[in-house]
Amino acid sequence: MIPINQRKPRRMEVVNAVEDLHRRTLSNMPRRLDRLIYLASTRDYNTGTYHHEGLASRFSEEVACEALAGCHGEAFRELISSDLRDLVQQLDEYRDSTHSSPGEFIALWRSLEPYRVTIPVGTDPLAAELLFSNIKIALAILETRRKVRPAAGPAA
Amino acid sequence: MIELIFFLLVGALLLLSLLFFTPGKPKGRKDAKPLAEVQQALDVLQFGLLSPDMVGRIFVKKDFDYVMSETTREVQRFFLAERRRLALAWVEQVHRQIVSLRRFHLGSARFYARLRFLSEMRLAWDFATVLFACRTLRAAVYLRGPYAAPRLVGATTAAAARVCGVSEKYLDFLRPARMMSFGDDSAGGSVE
Repeated sequence: MIPINQRKPRRMEVVNAVEDLHRRTLSNMPRRLDRLIYLASTRDYNTGTYHHEGLASRFSEEVACEALAGCHGEAFRELISSDLRDLVQQLDEYRDSTHSSPGEFIALWRSLEPYRVTIPVGTDPLAAELLFSNIKIALAILETRRKVRPAAGPAA
Repeated sequence: MIELIFFLLVGALLLLSLLFFTPGKPKGRKDAKPLAEVQQALDVLQFGLLSPDMVGRIFVKKDFDYVMSETTREVQRFFLAERRRLALAWVEQVHRQIVSLRRFHLGSARFYARLRFLSEMRLAWDFATVLFACRTLRAAVYLRGPYAAPRLVGATTAAAARVCGVSEKYLDFLRPARMMSFGDDSAGGSVE
């Protein structure tokens, strides 16, 4: 396999790959938070390179990597510009989609802070800190809502 | 009265900064800040710290209004503490990057660009304004929270953006000058 840095993909190829990724995959994820988490999960944490089998087969490993990195940065910027109300809603809906209980989800996200690995490489530290802070506040809001409205028990 | 004190302070700062900008004995080139570092400082400011998204999220009251109207006191306190921490970090970073740009102007820019006196004055004023605004904003945020001085946030952002614009011009000017300087140490020119 050719190392990622050995050949610089042509710009048009990357643009096409980004379009393809949006059309086939990202358009099915209406929430920005989901897109960020998904794109971060395509990154190898040891090398920082992105992998997507389908995209690589249609284009090339290098083009797919660059397209995924670009989309990851875009998803991060979009999420940063979300207001807090929107982020709380996205987080709640994301939690719902994982089928985990609110209590478990909030406790786990507070202790493990999995959102920290979703940041693209080279992100400005203050921008990253802003997202972390907003997620912590959103978790606190969801926690208070959970206390006010405990999960409904099974129907009688 | 407060305005008078403000303008006196700004005036004093301007005088001090003029002293800094007074042409002195040129330093050796090894003291010049590499252009890449200056470009990095500009990128951090223009695409990060001064971007409307970043400034808006930290200082605009929309999130504050939401938290105040729909959450408990405990969450409100947590939110305000977090925003204050971020606001102070923002001011600190802007200040640091502006100081880095000023160092560049005091160092590299003076080797190659023969600035006109008026341009120097304007530049000194811009640096003095933004650094003073940063200090004042830091005090305001520290004492009264991130939403205490929205106009000062606007003034700081605008002054910092002005300094970035000027620095970018000098950087563009210096790039070819530095290339030429490999063959001729006296390479230089004038900006404006």
